This record gives sequence, structure tokens and C-alpha cells, in this order.
Amino acid sequence: MEAIEKLTRILNRKNVEWEVYWEAGRGTSFRAERERLERAQEKFFSGIGLRIGLNGRVGFSYTTGFPKDEKSLTELIKRAEKLARIGSKPFKGFPEPSGKFPEIKGLYDRAIDELDFDEARYLAEKFVDEMKGMKGGRREYTLSGAMSFGTVNTGIANSNGIEEEEPRTGMSMWVYAVKKGQRSGSGYASQTYTTLQGVHEGEEIIRRAMEEADLSQKAEKIEGFSGEVLMEPQAVKALVYLFLENLYGEGVYYSRSRFSVDDLGREVLSEKISIIDDATVECSPGSYSFDGEGVPGRKKALVSKGELRSFLLDHTYGKLLQLESTGNAVRDFRSVPGVGTSNVIVQRGKEKLGDWEGIIVSKVFGEHTANPVTGEFSFTVELGYVVRNGKAKPFSGNMVSGNVFDVLRKVSRVGKEVERRGSFYSPRIATEVRLV
Amino acid sequence: MEENILRIAEKTAEKLSVRYFEIRISRVTTTSVLVQNGQIDEISNNVETGIGVRALKNGWGFSSANDLSRAEKAIKTAMKMAGVSRGHEKVYLGDPIRDSVSLLGEKRVDEVDVSEKLEITKLANELLKGEKVKNRTTGYGDVIVETIYLNSLGSEIRTATSRVRLRLSSIAFEGGKTGEYWKSFGGTGGWELIERVELEKWAKFVSQKSRDLLKAKAPPSGKFDVVMDPELTGVFIHEAVGHAAEADAVKNGESIFAGKLGERVSVEELNVVDDPTLPGKFGSYAYDDEGMPGRRVEIIKNGVLNDYMNDRETSALLGLVPNGHGRAQSYAHQPLVRMSNTYVEPGNWDPEDIFEEVKSGLYMIGDKGGEVDVATGTFTFGAKEGYIIENGELKTHLRDVSLSGNLLEVLKNIRAIGRDVKIQYPGYCGKGQWVPVDDGGPHVLTRALVGGMR
Repeated sequence: MEAIEKLTRILNRKNVEWEVYWEAGRGTSFRAERERLERAQEKFFSGIGLRIGLNGRVGFSYTTGFPKDEKSLTELIKRAEKLARIGSKPFKGFPEPSGKFPEIKGLYDRAIDELDFDEARYLAEKFVDEMKGMKGGRREYTLSGAMSFGTVNTGIANSNGIEEEEPRTGMSMWVYAVKKGQRSGSGYASQTYTTLQGVHEGEEIIRRAMEEADLSQKAEKIEGFSGEVLMEPQAVKALVYLFLENLYGEGVYYSRSRFSVDDLGREVLSEKISIIDDATVECSPGSYSFDGEGVPGRKKALVSKGELRSFLLDHTYGKLLQLESTGNAVRDFRSVPGVGTSNVIVQRGKEKLGDWEGIIVSKVFGEHTANPVTGEFSFTVELGYVVRNGKAKPFSGNMVSGNVFDVLRKVSRVGKEVERRGSFYSPRIATEVRLV
Repeated sequence: MEENILRIAEKTAEKLSVRYFEIRISRVTTTSVLVQNGQIDEISNNVETGIGVRALKNGWGFSSANDLSRAEKAIKTAMKMAGVSRGHEKVYLGDPIRDSVSLLGEKRVDEVDVSEKLEITKLANELLKGEKVKNRTTGYGDVIVETIYLNSLGSEIRTATSRVRLRLSSIAFEGGKTGEYWKSFGGTGGWELIERVELEKWAKFVSQKSRDLLKAKAPPSGKFDVVMDPELTGVFIHEAVGHAAEADAVKNGESIFAGKLGERVSVEELNVVDDPTLPGKFGSYAYDDEGMPGRRVEIIKNGVLNDYMNDRETSALLGLVPNGHGRAQSYAHQPLVRMSNTYVEPGNWDPEDIFEEVKSGLYMIGDKGGEVDVATGTFTFGAKEGYIIENGELKTHLRDVSLSGNLLEVLKNIRAIGRDVKIQYPGYCGKGQWVPVDDGGPHVLTRALVGGMR
């Protein structure tokens, strides 16, 4: 691309280390309210993020669009250089080329990239018709939702010779169902995909949201309880991401984590728990062949049978901790790379768990009020069930509390069926919590 | 440039029978500095420009581009997309407005060198130092948004708004225990808002709090009488009343407040207000992102649900007086009905008397965020610390914890509202888009479910 070529040419004339990251893309989405298509939007975005390393320091600046004139590009360089002169963070250089990038199938679907407005509208209308159809004449339900399509081309180049580009596509749907009556119930369901195949699951998502609204309407608060409960994938997700905040390299380096490098190899969770971060899963929204610094995406065990195996690292914090980047630099062109996750997978166990008697926690909210450092959490239960003699009665409004490190240490059973929610994969797990 | 863009828009609108359109062209200048344990973790300084176009025909169409050379494409796309629905959306139009407003404060942040911003962030970081403190994080951010708003009615509004924020955070570790505390300062204005922060005092306070929390006990669990401090009252009222009173959730029949205007929803003493016109607060603005003047809304008046926050669409649809609450995260986002500065008005109680009212309960302090399901009215909100109250006196110090309740129940269980209102808790509210808001109120006594550890 002309702007990138010009920019790298100017940079190569200077005695600096540099990294150029660029994106260009488009997002189209349709929003339905009360089972009617009410709004549509299409956004275009593009830009370049530039990092410059100078005398052991690094500075960052970005520009929107792909300016081709020398003046705009020189100004971009000047801003990054100025900040590099002020900055004092130990700069550990940019990554070196390190072999091949993985070839991951199903991250780009030409059908999404080439979808024109009328075709996209047709799919959105079909989705809304499905909403109308499933609601039927039942006025107590109100359904809203959205269908979105996106395509982005991402590229990276640096002064060490890394240069790569990758196109990716995505689509997503969500539905929010409210059921009115003496009291109201609500349900929400969503899913994301990398290909247009996702459109076939529209009905399933609507059904899930409506079913949840039915149950939520009937759900009441139950008596407090302390002991073993079964957590469904969505509730497991809240626990796992709270735990993972302690594995981010930046937090480990700045002592914001419970763990240090010495904890690698130690048993920190139940031996029944294994957690993987895998950027190479086919057709998965969390996958990429290279990360925000041009390091190949890969699969790594974070926790293996309860043992802490790896942190999540980008190049800088990998170096600062005297470890290696795990290919987990996440960014857009407006931001410097930071540590993030790709696809997070809680590995399946052997248990059927279909005949569970007792309490099941299905969905929780208020995740961001938890404290990742102490591990203490109290989530509000959005939906759960009490199962007695095979019959399930819904409940909600209780709080489920505990310490995430204890709760994931006390896991007694892990299910064998894995569900996907976006880029998170998990079975159901049984563990001990307090229900307030 | 604007004349040219407007001409293209008018021509396209005529061709495609667009009923109404609006255009926002923004130039956004940001600086952010993050210092951790004395090291600069991030420093950036950027400028970007972009355009967002919204059009109404049968339904709404929107398009944006962060590259002004695509302005024409954005206009045409938005207008084409406005033909998407077969519905008949309503919109409040009103008279055209021509105005120019500058909220840049006394000392413009773009005239302060980035090195000065870095120095103060580093100084604050240094001041947090203390025994057992293992992580010190300080972050500074400012943004100037200069927007030209144009619409098909002939409005032309130029706004320049500057917001600044400084955050101090400290984490102490000792013998496997951790204590964490933080505080944020900021508002709508210039560098003077940062200069007015008593850095030494607050850094010491935050650092000491993180150490004190090492010794604090795990909070109990169950239903309790809870006294909330002004900061916790802020997040409480934002979650329990604010979101349910946003007219888009009402329009769709989703909100538990839908159809309840004029009904008693809380104790008579409760008055809840959202006011974008408060000077200098983080959520303040003169015009919203639909070119409507921001107005004070009395959401709950003497215990009765009195009004909803609304935008051009919902005010027309629900037959309400427009109050300018259509806000967008940026030029690249469509306006949604949002809060600005939300607070509980003063009551009659001396704060001391409120504590005396409590035989056995909890005093919960500070804001850790919250969330609400507006359909069922279940909400949750977090406190940074607390104390056990026994016979009106503060006893055991407690760690952070989350609370929850059903909003209609909790609003009716309010037993005392203090006189001591504070609105100085800048933060961001998420609803698919992030917008700056502030909230607050006085000390308030109610009953809530506490999700403690014992």
C-alpha cells in the first residue's frame, strides 16, 4: 500500500527502530426494536499506529486514514519521536521474525467481505422475520436484537524485517427478549462467527433468549446456601476471566498479580482444571495468525491439571520477565499493544452431569465489581435452577460469592460437553460457593 | 469544507426523500499518560478527525468515516440505509439552532506541554509510595472534542469541550493478603482542574487506605441496613433509577419504569435529578449529540416517577418535552439516550443522625461500578470498603464487596436521606458505547443484599 511503503521508506532513512501497524475495515449492522428493523449503519475505518524506539525508549502515535503526503507522514513520525524522547519505560526492542505464521482456516469469508448492502439487509430482514414468527401473536413478548457484519485487513511491519498482512471477517447476532406480565422476565442470547454460516443459527439464538425470559419471569430468590453447585459455561466464564487477570504479564511485572514467575509449575487450581489460550482454532472469532506485534499466534497451556504453566505475554513483558512472548499482544491502530487473550478454552472432563440434583448457576452479572487481586467476588445471579427429583425450578436475584482462587481449587467435577460463547469454550463445572 | 458537505447532503437527501439528517464533524485531541511503579507505561498524544452522518426516512441510517476524504461516501451510505425499514419513525424537529459554545476551562489542556502532564503523573506515583505498597498506578487523560453539528433544519452548532481526569491507585500486599484502593479526579474544563487536586493529601490517603484494607475483615453476607456514602449513593442511583429512566428502554416497553409516569415508585423524601448543565462536572455538556440543548430532568420528584431522559426520537414517540440526552461516544457512534450527572437531592437528615438510626447494619463506602437489568429491576453495585455499624457506631473495618437488590424494593426501603450532597465522582458509563458521566448524592440509608464472604 502506498502510504505504508512511503512511511517505511522515510523510517528506514532514520536511525531508529520502528513498528508500523495498520488496519482498514468496514462494519455493517442492523438493529431491530420491537421486532421491527429500525436502524442500519455502515462504518468505515482505517489508520496507522506507529511505534518508534530511540535510545532504549519507545514512543507511539497514530493517524487515521492512509495519508500519502510526505508532510502528514513526517508529522506522525515527529510525534512518536517526541514521545520516545520523553518516555522512560525500558524499551526491549521489537520482535524478530520467528519462523512461519500458522495457517488458520476459516478466519476470512469472501461472502462477508463482498456482501453488499441489499444482501446484508435481506439477511437482517430474515432474522427479524424469524423474531416475528417465533413471537407469533403473543403480545407479552418484546424482542429486540441486532445482526452485524465486519471485515478488516490488518498489517504489521517492523525494522527487524517482520512484514505480514491478514484479512479477517466476522458476523454476530444478539437478541434481548422481555416477557411482560404481573412481573417481567428478561433473556439475552448472542453469538459471534467468522463466516456467514452463522446466519443459520438465528432461530436458535431467538429461542434461547425467549426461553430465558420465560424462566426469568418465573424465577424467584431462594434461601441462602453454602456448598456445591453446578456452574454453567456463562458463569464459569465470569470466574475464569477474573482468574486470568492474574496471568497478564503486565500485572505480574508490576506486582498487580497474585502470582510471580516463581509460581510457574506450582499447583494453583484443582487438578481437574486445565485452561488453554489458543490463537489457532479454526473458524473461531478469537483466532489470529499474528498478534499486534507480529508474533505468530499459538496455542499454550495456561493451567494444566491445576498447575500454572504460562502467563499471557507480549514482547515487552515477556522480555521484562525473562520469558518469551506468548503471542498475546492485542491492539488496534489507535493503541499500543497490551496483553490480552485469544480463544480461552477450559478443557472438557469426563462427567455427564446431566442428572445433577441441587443448584445450578446459569448466568451471573456484575463481573466488574469483583476484585481480581484478592480474588473476592459476589455476582448477582441472573438465572439459575434448583433441581429436585429431576425437576428444575428457576431462581434469580441471589448473589453468588466466594474467592475465585478457592472456588477454582474446589472444583470436583468437570462436564464432557463444551459450549462456545464467542471466543470462550467451556464445559459445566461443579464447585463450592456461597449463595446469599 | 462544511458548506460543501452540507450541499452534498442536501442534494442527496432530496434525491432519496430523506426526511431529516444530521452531520457531526469532529476533531479529537487526546493525551494519556500511565505510570506504574515509577515507570512510564504509556504516553500518547494524538489528533484525529472524522464524520458521522445520521438520516431518517422510514427508519434510521448511520454511517461514519475516520477519514474526511470519505465524507461524501458516508453521507450517501447513511441516506441509503435510512430506507431500510418500512416503519414510520417519529422525530422531534424543533427550530434550527445556531450557536457556538466553548467549555475549555481556564487553562487549555492543549497549551500545557505533555512533559508537564507526565511530571504530575510521575509525582502522584511517587507520592503513593509507602510500606507494603507493591503496585502504584497513576493515570492522566485529557481530551478536547471540537465538533461542528449541522442538520437539515439549518442548525449549525460549534462546540469545543475539554475533559480531564487523574486516577491514583495503590495495592498493598502482606502475608498473602492484599488491599487495593483508588480515587479519580476530573471534570469538564482545563488544566486548572488538575492543579486544584491536593495531590499530596490524596496520594497519602489512597496509599494509607490500601494498607488499612490489609487488616480489614471479610464482609458478612445477607440482607442488611446499609448506609451509603455520597460516592456509593451515586452509583446506586445511576443503576437503580438512571438506566430504567432512559426513554429508549421505556419506548421498547423493556424498562420496569415503562407506563409508570406519575406513579409513586419510592419513599416520598426521594428526589432524583439528572443535570447536564451543572458547571464543570465530568458528565456536563451544553448540547447533546443531536444538537439539542441539555436540560435538567427531575426523574423522581417527591417519590413519584416524574420524567424520563429522552432524545429527539423518544420525546416525539412518547409525547415528552425534549431534554437533550442523546449522547454518542464519538462521531463514529449513533446517539443513544444516556445520563449526564445523576444525583440524589439533599434530604433533611444530618449524616450523624443517620448512623444513630442504625442498631445493626453496615456503612458502605465508594464506587466499584454496577450493572442493572432494567426489565426485572435487579441491579448490583460495588463498594470499595465498609464498616460494621453497631448501635450507631462504626466498628469493624470491612473489605470491598458487591451489593444487590430489586430497584422498586430498595427505593421503597429508603429510611433516611442526608443533607450532605457531593457530586464529584467522574467515571464512564457503558451501554454499548462509553460516555463520561458523574454521579453522587448525600448519605442514604436503605436495605440491600450484601454478597459477603461469611
